[in-house]
Amino acid sequence: MAKYTVIRIVKGILSAVCVVVMIMVLVYSLMDRTVIFAGDPNYSKMQSNARTTYEQSRYQAFGYIDYATYSDYIKGLFASGEIDDETRAAALKIGITPEKASETANEYIAKFTQMYESQGYTITRLDADRKTNGKVKDGGQAVIYATRDRPLIKRVWSYFTNMLFFDNVHYVDESIDIGERTLTFTLHDPVYGGEKFSPAIIGNGTLHKYLLYFDNKFPFIHQNFVTLNLGESYTVNRGVDVFETMNATQGSYVKDTVEYPTGLVEESADDLHTATFVAGSLDQNAMYSARFVDDYTHTITHKANFSKLGFSFVIGIIATIIAYIIGLPLGILMSRYKDGILDKIGTFYIIFIIAVPSLAYIFLFKAIGGALFKLPTTFDMDNGTAAMYVLPIISLALPSIANLMKWMRRYMIDQMNSDYVKFARSGGLSETEIFTKHIWKNAAIPIVHGIPSSLLFAMTGAIITERIYSVPGAGNLLTQAINKYDNGVIVGVTLFYAVLTVISNILGDILISTVDPRISFTSKGR
Amino acid sequence: MHEDLSQFTDEELFAPISHSDAESEKIAAPRYSYWKSVFRVFFRKKINIIALALLLFVILFAYIYPSVTEYDPFANLLDPNSKHLGPTQALNYFGHELRWILGTGASGEPTFDAVWNGARISISLAFICAAINMVIGVMLGAVWGFSKKVDMVMMEVYTIIGNVPMILIISVLSMLFSPTFWTMVFALTIVGWLGIAYFIRTQVLIIRDREYNLASRCLGTSIFKIATKNILPFMTSVIVTLLATELPSYISYEVFLSYIGMGMSEMSLGRLIYAAEAAMVTPGWEMEFWSPVAIAAIITVVLYLVGQNLGDASDPRTHM
Repeated sequence: MAKYTVIRIVKGILSAVCVVVMIMVLVYSLMDRTVIFAGDPNYSKMQSNARTTYEQSRYQAFGYIDYATYSDYIKGLFASGEIDDETRAAALKIGITPEKASETANEYIAKFTQMYESQGYTITRLDADRKTNGKVKDGGQAVIYATRDRPLIKRVWSYFTNMLFFDNVHYVDESIDIGERTLTFTLHDPVYGGEKFSPAIIGNGTLHKYLLYFDNKFPFIHQNFVTLNLGESYTVNRGVDVFETMNATQGSYVKDTVEYPTGLVEESADDLHTATFVAGSLDQNAMYSARFVDDYTHTITHKANFSKLGFSFVIGIIATIIAYIIGLPLGILMSRYKDGILDKIGTFYIIFIIAVPSLAYIFLFKAIGGALFKLPTTFDMDNGTAAMYVLPIISLALPSIANLMKWMRRYMIDQMNSDYVKFARSGGLSETEIFTKHIWKNAAIPIVHGIPSSLLFAMTGAIITERIYSVPGAGNLLTQAINKYDNGVIVGVTLFYAVLTVISNILGDILISTVDPRISFTSKGR
Repeated sequence: MHEDLSQFTDEELFAPISHSDAESEKIAAPRYSYWKSVFRVFFRKKINIIALALLLFVILFAYIYPSVTEYDPFANLLDPNSKHLGPTQALNYFGHELRWILGTGASGEPTFDAVWNGARISISLAFICAAINMVIGVMLGAVWGFSKKVDMVMMEVYTIIGNVPMILIISVLSMLFSPTFWTMVFALTIVGWLGIAYFIRTQVLIIRDREYNLASRCLGTSIFKIATKNILPFMTSVIVTLLATELPSYISYEVFLSYIGMGMSEMSLGRLIYAAEAAMVTPGWEMEFWSPVAIAAIITVVLYLVGQNLGDASDPRTHM
């Protein structure tokens, strides 16, 4: 069994990789990349050469190409101290046409070209865009830039190698002076004032300041040594990882008395434990310099409500449990009294759910629930009551009840004509005994296989239900990402779905082989 | 009587009958015609006749009504009094005609006409997609079930493609091409056949190694003949039942896609529901929203009912 499970897991990982490759081909290679500008208000304001460079920078942000400009190259040289201010000014005078460029500029342009062409870039030089009177148009300044298409294999490779991020003291660029790069272990977490006993590991030179800490939120001990990186969002939730987008709390801020490292005490929602390094941020922003003593300034804020995943999970898991509690007994009763009144009503209900478009019956539930039972029909995160969960849960549970009833009834009826049932009957067992002790146990096996999948997929959320009741859940994330062309999120969410499918299939198989010892996935013992 | 017979010679008593192979092979059992029995069983139930009549009516109406009437959604665009009228208001405003019976929509168009035009598009989509997917799915599924080598490859393909969210494929395709009717057909069929093929593959696996097929193979029957003569008849009821769930599912899926904003550009039922979503909560406008919902529900329920019962009837075991 162990060997079999390992093979299944390896196969599962392979198929998840294949899914990611397919998705990357679909979104990066097949889709027209100019569509990203369709809803971009900045794009229409740009003109001339500025528009071209803006296009390139956006392509880079969406992950289509690698892009570098000549001016950034010179700035980089200046920052590293390779050239002085005078040379920089001279090198930036690239002229309105190549002939008019300064001597120094030509020299550095040649260096720039050589450096990037050797890496497979294409160098583009746009001459200044001039009006008829010879003046340069708005945004028409001459530019030089290098672009390179990201090949698929490289993209897939970097996606998977960057997926797990291991935090280390060399994360922060070596050229930045941040003092000694170490990990310190303390028994008294400074966030709690340095008095209270609370072990923590604090890093300097790492991305996260707190690598290990305790707090009052589930699961109470948190680590930042290894973080999951599913892909960066660009339009849906700018610059934030997909996994964090799904996991971050939502709603209004929860303010608490926070003592900042400078000693400033304030009512704030900042969670100091989540501080990450942002180079140079301390000096750039007066707000940060009043609060922090180093560049670990970026914090996540405490918010009052569940995350996207949390909302979907709460609604989904309750709906799934209700569905199993109601659906299975009803299915058994339908088969027990086959062709009876309950069976007929149940069949009618099943047909209704299968045949009527889901959109139609969810709207029906909403209309009935809102008008007859006076239940809230829209979700309000901040002023809501528990009643707002009722309709989404019912809308999710009712179709799964029908589905479970259908299959339970089918499996029970299939078992009813088996020899062992006839034998039990001839042995004088009562019908109830036969049903509860014999048929049910056999009929439940295929149902058991679906349990892990329905529990895990409760997390992903239901698109229509969440949309109709405006639940801030994870179900809409994929559609939202597609509508906004957020490639990072599309890939991340798909991978998340694929991994869930793989896990739930494996768990389902393991579960049925434990429930029913006759089922064996290994050829041994057969 | 007995004495009288003796007066006759053998020639007079018996007439020779020429020997016929065809006659001697005849079995004196009642004639059995498969499809006749299917329809006999099907029409035995009253509900089936009603459902079939309703289905035929809806389909014929959806195709004939829009082609005999003129429908211009923007004819009343400039008339501010014509918008969002309830049924009685519309009948009073425009006169007592069938097309105003459900009121008017956002640009003063008759809801009744809009719904039937949408129904025609949705039904066409369902039938075309089902036809393509069923043909490809059943043929490939049969091969998939028969060949162990194909099975090994296809199972991996199935697990991989099954993980790619369907809405992603559809949205990418509708971005690649413009979201027209035929793009939608393409998007729904490009991977849609896979599920059907997998279903058929499982069914083929179940009966492939049954004794009668083994016997047939031992007697030297070709695989092709086994597939068409031994297995296909067994599968008819399965295929019909599958079709009964597939056809309505395309209509439902189209409605779903339109609702999340990834539908086609034609005003199908789904698009009508999507466009009228805001009208649902506005008092007096509900008709615009519930009419396409109701028609979509009627079409899918009737399709499902007829299909399921036809599937039951096409199972030879019910022909007793």
